[in-house]
Amino acid sequence: MDLEKYKKSWENQPKETNTVSNVDIYKMSHSKSSSIVKWIFIIGILELIFWTSLNFMVPQKYMEVYKDFKIMELLKATMFVHYVVILVFLVLFYRNYNSISITDSTKRLMNRILSVRRTVKYYVYYNLGTIIISNIVLMIILLGQPDHLIDALNPKGLNVDTNTTITIFIIATAAMVLIMFLIIWFFYKLTYGRLLKKLNKNYKELDNLEHLH
Amino acid sequence: MQKDLESKFLLDFEQNQNIVHKICRIYTTNQDAHNDLFQEVVIQLWKNYSKFRGDSKFSTWMYRVALNTAISLYRKSTRSIKTQDIDDFSYRIKSSEYDNTEELQLKALYKAIHQLNDIDKALIFLYLEDKPYKEISETLGITEVNARVKMNRAKDKLKNILKP
Repeated sequence: MDLEKYKKSWENQPKETNTVSNVDIYKMSHSKSSSIVKWIFIIGILELIFWTSLNFMVPQKYMEVYKDFKIMELLKATMFVHYVVILVFLVLFYRNYNSISITDSTKRLMNRILSVRRTVKYYVYYNLGTIIISNIVLMIILLGQPDHLIDALNPKGLNVDTNTTITIFIIATAAMVLIMFLIIWFFYKLTYGRLLKKLNKNYKELDNLEHLH
Repeated sequence: MQKDLESKFLLDFEQNQNIVHKICRIYTTNQDAHNDLFQEVVIQLWKNYSKFRGDSKFSTWMYRVALNTAISLYRKSTRSIKTQDIDDFSYRIKSSEYDNTEELQLKALYKAIHQLNDIDKALIFLYLEDKPYKEISETLGITEVNARVKMNRAKDKLKNILKP
């Protein structure tokens, strides 16, 4: 079968009768975009704010507990490195977002959009990783000084079993991390999963081709 | 300065408006979605118009922005309800001059294109618009060889759907 006859009827198709007037085009051109890029930007900013403010939300009083364990210096150094990393991520996010251009080729455009998404994804991974590793390290340090730990967990000196207290402490910490993971996973399914389904599919469609030869 | 740019844009757009309508017709299946995509294309064109240097034709530039919007940026509106989908667009191209056989062929063509994936739609559209492979490969960001391979496959898919 030949597509030429269809091509001919395509060429001969009448012009759209329902043309949009210049006034309406003007109004449209100044209205707000609802594009994927805009949503990725908004969600990305919200995530960066969320994770960064989470770091600042730890009250000072809570930190004082660690004084007894003599790890304040270590904590301060870790925090400093952490803020440098946040800064690097912010710069990366901004640079990637800025490099998105609709006038690029389709493949490059999609690649740029996905790399903004990747920056945010790595930022979240970084934060999750930090939470897990710092919790494990902290737990090892705390369990290494059980006397201080019991004092911290049971400041009023109630008559409870030491082993039970420590077990509850470990389970509670693990449960907290797990719940956080589930919430975040669900959040991603809802936002990026839906937002990028089409884009990912189209990108793969163009990318697969490169591996044919 | 801004006013000049605006009126120049409106003039350029007016002459090429039909291209955007054709793209909206192949990427959407109902009037609401058509209007949504059309508006998003206009926003993107205007947003980037100051960067359009005129080293290519406005229409060439427009093909790229409009297709990129349809393929990469546009999200299907939640407003559009599937049951209200219109299987053709005859409500807008009623024309007495238009030959009946051709009209049926065109309807069948649009219906078939709707079944293709987004990238194949773009390829078939650029083929129908008679664009050279060089431009097709530059627009999509793939090599010319790959564009040919991909185009042949897209054409085969389309032929299969159109087969009586």
